[in-house]
Amino acid sequence: MPMRPLSFSLALLLALPCPLDASPRNEPIKPISLTRTADPARTELGSRLFHDVRLSANNRVACVSCHDLTHGGADSRAHSLGISGKPTAVNTPTVFNAALNFRQFWNGRADSLEAQIDAVIENPDEMGSTWPDVVAKVAQDASYKTGFTEAYPDGVTQANIRNAIATFERTLLTPNSPFDRYLLGDTDAISADEKAGYLKFKQYGCVACHQGVNIGGNMYQKFGVMGDYFKQRGNPTDADLGRFLVTRDEEDRHVFKVPSLRNVALTAPYFHDASAKTLEDAVDVMFRYQLGRAASPEDKGSIIRFLKTLTGVQETSLQ
Amino acid sequence: MKMPLQLRTASLGLVFAALLVFLYIKNPAYDATAYFESIALLRQIKQLDARWELDALKSKIGVNTSYDPLVNPLSELDRLREQVNRLGIQQLQGTAADWNRSFGAYQDITEHKTSLIEGFKTHNAVLRNSLAFLPTAASDVQDAIYHLAHQEQGGKREALEHIAAQVDSVLLSSLVFSQADTEGKVSEIITELDELAAVSGSLPPAIVSGLEIFMAHVRTLIDEKKRVNGLLSGITSVPVAAHIDDLEYLLSQEQQQAAARTLQYRQYLLFLSAILAGLLLYVASRLVRSYAVINRVNQQLQTANDSLEQRVQERTLELQQAQGKLVDSARQAGMAEIATNVLHNVGNVLNSVNISAELTMRQVRTSKVQGLARAMQMLNQHATDLGDFITHDDKGKLLPGYLNQLAEALQTEQQSILDELGQLSRSVDHIKEIVSTQQAYAGAANLVEPLQIGSLIEDALRMNNSALDRHQVTVVKQFSEVPVLLLDKHRLLLILINLISNAKNAMADLAEHARTLTLSVTMVDTDTLQIGVQDDGEGIEPDNLTRIFTHGFSTRKDGHGFGLHSCAVAAMEMGGSLKAHSDGPGKGALFTLALPCQTEESTL
Repeated sequence: MPMRPLSFSLALLLALPCPLDASPRNEPIKPISLTRTADPARTELGSRLFHDVRLSANNRVACVSCHDLTHGGADSRAHSLGISGKPTAVNTPTVFNAALNFRQFWNGRADSLEAQIDAVIENPDEMGSTWPDVVAKVAQDASYKTGFTEAYPDGVTQANIRNAIATFERTLLTPNSPFDRYLLGDTDAISADEKAGYLKFKQYGCVACHQGVNIGGNMYQKFGVMGDYFKQRGNPTDADLGRFLVTRDEEDRHVFKVPSLRNVALTAPYFHDASAKTLEDAVDVMFRYQLGRAASPEDKGSIIRFLKTLTGVQETSLQ
Repeated sequence: MKMPLQLRTASLGLVFAALLVFLYIKNPAYDATAYFESIALLRQIKQLDARWELDALKSKIGVNTSYDPLVNPLSELDRLREQVNRLGIQQLQGTAADWNRSFGAYQDITEHKTSLIEGFKTHNAVLRNSLAFLPTAASDVQDAIYHLAHQEQGGKREALEHIAAQVDSVLLSSLVFSQADTEGKVSEIITELDELAAVSGSLPPAIVSGLEIFMAHVRTLIDEKKRVNGLLSGITSVPVAAHIDDLEYLLSQEQQQAAARTLQYRQYLLFLSAILAGLLLYVASRLVRSYAVINRVNQQLQTANDSLEQRVQERTLELQQAQGKLVDSARQAGMAEIATNVLHNVGNVLNSVNISAELTMRQVRTSKVQGLARAMQMLNQHATDLGDFITHDDKGKLLPGYLNQLAEALQTEQQSILDELGQLSRSVDHIKEIVSTQQAYAGAANLVEPLQIGSLIEDALRMNNSALDRHQVTVVKQFSEVPVLLLDKHRLLLILINLISNAKNAMADLAEHARTLTLSVTMVDTDTLQIGVQDDGEGIEPDNLTRIFTHGFSTRKDGHGFGLHSCAVAAMEMGGSLKAHSDGPGKGALFTLALPCQTEESTL
């Protein structure tokens, strides 16, 4: 990508007067960069579509029905309800920072946000619609029609609707969490206790999977590395098979995408099966089945306090 | 030569131009930039791929603390791959199957490598965690053991310390294994683990759980280490570079073929250029030859020109001579014409002379003079008795009366003869004048004299008098008042005589009605005299209106075709004009003579 000379020199200009102690820390976790730009017209269209129930077959469910932007980008149900009121197979992951995930869905079956949109719209239990229907409904709306004609050369099409929603979703980032500010050099952004929690987070090995800019979301991991979680839990479901459903590889049995820990304090319940109602439960499960070790309640408390510093600020101001 | 040189050259040039266009169209537009772009992209992919591998190794040894570097290249690689595929398909249209096969293989191994790296991330995370945790787990166990050992004595304590030492040993072996894994080390560790497991049954639960955690992590370490190593060796042995080289090879092959084609077409072009150059040389040589021919022809022309000039001079001389001759002959012809003119006019007058002479002769022949002679004979017979004879003889008595009558008759006769002789002598005078006029012509003199036009016309009529009488022509005179004018009397007289004679002749065949000749005289604009001679005779064909004035034209069997011609000539010589008008055959004709003239007074 050729860098525009102006923005490059602007970046230099901004970078130069920064004090040395404010330079980003070399940590396994990276702050969310603030340099993303999105086409405003397409974002606006995407936002409208995201809130539009006409994307579902019976005009009752919109994206936002499950990905409530005021509730951490997800709903508080264990399993969201689709068009026919039937609960979905897995807990709804947050839409916030979904753009930073390397794959979408718990089992990573979608390579991109666009593919994820396809799967949700055509899933009979979720939106239960078909693309021709969605395109027809959107095209009937005069304001959509003019909006698409202005934003896209070929107007209302399946690809453009998908792109608009994905474009909007790419703006749903939550930068400026206290921990991000800490990473960017603001040493006072988090308390000493929270810093200690981060240290524990690293020492106990949570960071082995929950790392990178999205604090997870960039790898797969087996759920139950150090113990059989599903045997312990009981009631095995198809969804528990994880990536095995995608690859049919025995190696991928119970393997899931490592979820992001950003805004984790807002997205209870936890795990694909929503089995952990609280952060404490979730951390316990993680220690037991993923790390295979015990931790003192103080350490767990410390880690949970650290996790609460990962709540960011939603970039776009939406109603 | 059937075809001109230019046409042949042009058609040949056209053929070559068509050939050029054909070569241009035939030459596939191979875009070398696409090739270089593809190669650059493939190098970029190779580089990214190598860095990807390197990042995996860095993650393995913990230099990379997050897996973002292993994830971020994916989208870039996808993008580059798509770009390369697009460019490749564009370039290898002829061997698309080869490209698709190679590209598919490359894509497959990339997917394979991606899945290996996914596995690597998964297992490396676990491995590193267990490895990092192992010393802690070991010391946790040992702390617990030592804590217990402090409370125990003797053999039990030793047994506990032995277990602690075994844990240490396992830890050491595991750490060594983590650095350099060997099968021997693995079995050694597993043996030790089995021993530990065997003794763990006799230990208190607090220690057992710690020991189990430790052992679980050791087993995890061993398993994951194997897996990670396998994955890494798999990752590094994925022949991505080889597949990229395949693609590069395909592209460069195509590029070489294109280059070869280009070379081939360049050769064609060279060949074509050579032919065109040859053609040009040929044309140039033809041109040089043409120049030579032109020069030669020029010289010949020059020579011809020179000789021609000479010949022209000769011919000019000849012409001059011929012209001299012509002038002479023309002069002779002119003289002949004059002679004809004179003879014609003289002939006309001689007619009058002839008539006068005949009349005189007839009168003289029938003269009463013989009566006088007989009277005198009678007198002579009676010379002796003359008185008696006259007084007594019957015959003698009549004699004086007879003589008186005779004297009167003779007197009349004499007068008539005198008149006729006067006419004769005037005609002779006219002939003399004609001759002298012609002599004046020869001298080109224009003798103008003051004259009364009316009397001149009378003269002319008189000269034609007998003929007019014979043909019973009524002459109508429409003379307006005309002053004494300065004119060439003889020429004018000639014209009038001719015109009157012509009119009379035109009416010769007229049987059904009276013949009328109308003469008119008017002045136009005070300086032009106009004389009209109109007949109601046979008229003139419109076609002949102009021809009648030409020399030798005549409608009469015995005509010379000279009269009107000489009239027109004379009129012209006098500065005037003679025009004929006729409404058509049988409708008569009007000849109008217009002469510029001056009154006697105006000349003074």
